[in-house]
Amino acid sequence: MLRLTSTIRKELLILLRDKGGLAIMFLMPMAMITIMALIQDAPFKDYQEMKIPLLLVNKDTGSLGKAIEKGLNESKMFDINKQALKDTEVKQTVKKGDFEIGILIPENATQQLDQNVDLFVTKKLSEAGLGDSIVAENQNTETLNLSIYFAPDTKKSFRVSIINSLKQSTSKIETQTLLNFFSKELNKDGEQMNDKEQMKDFVQFNEISTVETPQEALQLNSVQHNVPAWTIFGIFFIVISMAGSIIKERDDGSYLRIRTMPGSFITVLSGKIISYLFITIIQAVLMLLVGLYLLPLLGLPKLSIGSNVLAMFLMIVFTGLAATGFGVMVGSIFKTHQQASTFGAVSVVILAALGGIWVPVYVMPEAVRIMAEFSPLYWSLSGFHKLFLNAGTLTDILPYLLKLSLFFFACLATAFYFDKQSQ
Amino acid sequence: MDPNAAIELKDLIKIYKGAAIPAVNNITLHIPKGSIFGLLGPNGAGKTTTISMMCGLINPSSGQIQVEQFSVQKQKEEVKKIIGVVPQEIALYPTLTAFENLQYIGNMYGLKGDALKQKIQNNLITFGLDQVQHKKIDTFSGGMKRRINLIAGILHDPKILFLDEPTVGVDVQSRNVITEHLHLLNKNGMTIIYTSHLMEEAENLCTDIAIIDHGKIITQGKPKELIQQHHTENLEQLFLKLTGKKLRDH
Repeated sequence: MLRLTSTIRKELLILLRDKGGLAIMFLMPMAMITIMALIQDAPFKDYQEMKIPLLLVNKDTGSLGKAIEKGLNESKMFDINKQALKDTEVKQTVKKGDFEIGILIPENATQQLDQNVDLFVTKKLSEAGLGDSIVAENQNTETLNLSIYFAPDTKKSFRVSIINSLKQSTSKIETQTLLNFFSKELNKDGEQMNDKEQMKDFVQFNEISTVETPQEALQLNSVQHNVPAWTIFGIFFIVISMAGSIIKERDDGSYLRIRTMPGSFITVLSGKIISYLFITIIQAVLMLLVGLYLLPLLGLPKLSIGSNVLAMFLMIVFTGLAATGFGVMVGSIFKTHQQASTFGAVSVVILAALGGIWVPVYVMPEAVRIMAEFSPLYWSLSGFHKLFLNAGTLTDILPYLLKLSLFFFACLATAFYFDKQSQ
Repeated sequence: MDPNAAIELKDLIKIYKGAAIPAVNNITLHIPKGSIFGLLGPNGAGKTTTISMMCGLINPSSGQIQVEQFSVQKQKEEVKKIIGVVPQEIALYPTLTAFENLQYIGNMYGLKGDALKQKIQNNLITFGLDQVQHKKIDTFSGGMKRRINLIAGILHDPKILFLDEPTVGVDVQSRNVITEHLHLLNKNGMTIIYTSHLMEEAENLCTDIAIIDHGKIITQGKPKELIQQHHTENLEQLFLKLTGKKLRDH
């Protein structure tokens, strides 16, 4: 026990006296959290909260133009700007980048729709032997074109969803018009379908939320993503410091001296791991405090950390263990500080990118999403998201804790193997 | 095991993985208790490998090593308790003070409390470092670092002390303090195994020497007797006569 406590004390003294190292370990991740949360606030809102700027040029005075406008308003997806522009100007205005979408409803669109429907109904009735066959055969319908302009950088999936949404608005009015004309033709002598007899939806979608607690209602915003993400990144950056410490001890002979001392080397290594683990816990607490108190002062949402403090603490500890284990492995494999720091930094950045630290994994391509499953930073981030966004319990995060602890032991086993090989 | 021997090596061989020739090639050596034993040889001769095996840092490919009554291969922990090691490097933590470094090393040997503090104080006074005990090692001169490095190796009063180039890069005064204190420790019963490239220092300090080259012991005995046997004037001439003048580290 004396060897363990003495090693912890020694390591902490060394760490605390390394002002540059402390700045890298504490200030850098805190600055990263603040900057990234601020930078990514707008993109996150783009996906979830912000309305899409839409230019609407409605030259139609009839019911079709009004129905489309109503549908767009009711979708609440758009920030609609109505303007009276020439047809050619609509394209240029959207291209300039002021609007994501431009919709041009031509003059007399309702009238054109009515004509088309009228002809269609007359044709169908004449085919059934109920109308004037000569009139029906000699006339053709002319497709009514509504023009939709997209900004050059609009994604294909977004275009498709917008067109589908508009089709939904227009199909209802098409059907309504069609029914009115059928009704008119079939009841020429009787009453027509009045306005109150509007067609009802035969199939309707009911949106039912699975949210049961206020915690579950939280959406992944910039703060909820960036604070745990960069906390994990900061924790994993301890790899460089830890590996550096191991290499330094090997270079200056301290490692050799320790190996000639009685007692298990595992005790000494445990002392080192516990000291660095302690630092990672302090790091994590400070970074969560940034999310709770500093970011709201900068106009960002407050971090929600859920209610399961024990589970959160365990997530931090196991993330720290995975990071320190990785540090021990890097320090054992590489011979020089330069090699270890380069590999440590690059590998953490790659694992972070794969693990969804920079951008959430769900926006990544399929192949990268599969690779993400092998990043310890992804396991950790998934665990934090479970706790922070889904009101997760200890049981929910157990698979992540298990993966992180296996990673820790695998790293130590690799480190021991390389250490043995070098003797 | 000879009761007068501090260390005995028997048919010791070490072949590193992938190496074509053995680093240590069938060495048999007897190091008397209470001696200052110089293990001398050119670079790459096999000194460090031999000492590393004696300390239990690396395992021999074959052969036996006995330190006092303990087998290094079988009773490594017992051996570690009775040996002290002073590496050539300043194996200390530069951002810790002299006292903090020694306290840590003392704790690692199970020493603690007032007894440890007293030991640290006594050694610091002996080596003239008591005034700077609360200063960080990285502010020390080369000589001061060498002295504190030596204290770290003897704090737990080992029976056998391994010294690897203990006076490299130090001024005359520091070297004098170190060698005087080594004589004193030896007088009090400590066996000292010493390696150095400084032949004059080895000649003055050592009671016994062995010269090793290409992994083999090429001569062994009392320095003065060996100098006479080989008709040379000093240890350096003897060393060059036996190992040759060809450069070894190019």
